Amino acid sequence: MNIKTAFSVKTDIGDVVKDIKSQLGDFAANLVVFFASSAFAPDVIARSMNEAFPDAETFGCSTAGEIVTGKMLSNSVVAMAFNRHAIKSAKVETLEDLNADSHKVFDSFERHFNKTMAKMDPKQYVGIILIDGLSGKEERVMDRIGDFTNVNFIGGSAGDDLKFAKTYVYANGKSYSNAAVLAILEPGVEFSLVKTQSFCPLQKKLLVTKANEANREIIEFNHKPAAVAYAEALGTSVADAPNHFMHNPVGLVFEGEPFVRSPQQIKGDSMLFYCSVKEGIELSLLESTDILNDTKRALEMARSELGGISGIINFNCILRTLELRQKRLTTEYGELFADTPTIGFSTYGEQYIGHMNQTATMLVFR
Amino acid sequence: MAGKIKQMIDAFVNQRAQGNSVLEGVVKIKLILKGIDPKMYTPESEDDPAIIAKLNELMHDFK
Repeated sequence: MNIKTAFSVKTDIGDVVKDIKSQLGDFAANLVVFFASSAFAPDVIARSMNEAFPDAETFGCSTAGEIVTGKMLSNSVVAMAFNRHAIKSAKVETLEDLNADSHKVFDSFERHFNKTMAKMDPKQYVGIILIDGLSGKEERVMDRIGDFTNVNFIGGSAGDDLKFAKTYVYANGKSYSNAAVLAILEPGVEFSLVKTQSFCPLQKKLLVTKANEANREIIEFNHKPAAVAYAEALGTSVADAPNHFMHNPVGLVFEGEPFVRSPQQIKGDSMLFYCSVKEGIELSLLESTDILNDTKRALEMARSELGGISGIINFNCILRTLELRQKRLTTEYGELFADTPTIGFSTYGEQYIGHMNQTATMLVFR
Repeated sequence: MAGKIKQMIDAFVNQRAQGNSVLEGVVKIKLILKGIDPKMYTPESEDDPAIIAKLNELMHDFK
């Protein structure tokens, strides 16, 4: 076994770390990824997890709920340990100020792996990003990463159990806000990336004709006030439109696959989203499908593509988690991951190629 | 003038994807997220200096 998971629902950080260490036993970890409820003091959990695994790089973030093999949890810490067979090499860096340039981080990656970001083969390397979920900067960071490398970065926006006060990312003993942890891994096993969202595009198109990207605000669709155009596409009133947000978000559809943008609220005649969209982009109205079946199918496809799965890191949107809670399906969702070492968390946004919503992005190891 | 943007997009996709169809898809999505939809540009499309400048910058960044 080259990948091992552990979790703790204890409330004292010292007990949590002792519990996780005991579960991992003498597993020779060179990398530990962990996700911790915002109930735990960020500086302390970051330092304690790092001290518990002195021979490993450690990184993680705060969450809006945790996922571990077979279960969806709250108020817990979940951890995944990799040995040198699973991860040959890893470099963890922190972009400490999301307004700053990312060159120093990329320079560090290039020195560690002894090749330029542009030369790194996306079949040989994979990136993980964990980013402050209240920063509103995910789009910019993913955009800049994508300018410099073909290595795929997959990840999620840190949460804080729906308090929307402050989220944290952790790297090698420290905690940060308004920051992102970027890690490039060189797995020793094949890996695959999964993006699954339970929506299908409808025929209704919404062209973004006016937007305030910095505010994630769409002012006009199809040269009409956004709220009016969205309501018309749904066949309902503007007053009723918010009741449809969860089941009818919008999406950029590329070759039939939606990249979801979830509405947050109506503001006057405009609409605020959890992801920004540029003017000139054509979006499609989406309709929800079946989270359980769609996720199960995505996992089966990954398993078939790889010939087996030894570990999964699941970045699962909090909106999906809320839908699962509402439908009392969290047990069934957890059980989809019962046969495979899995950790994950409920995110305030997901990243793969860009930033998106109401999606589960997963890094899957053979 | 016309058609330069389509030429540049094709060159950019080739530079990044090197014939790999999966990578081509990823590169195209990245362009769409930047507001440059490859589908919208043909050999007859007018040359927009802002888009041309952006594409030049992108090709420079990936080296």
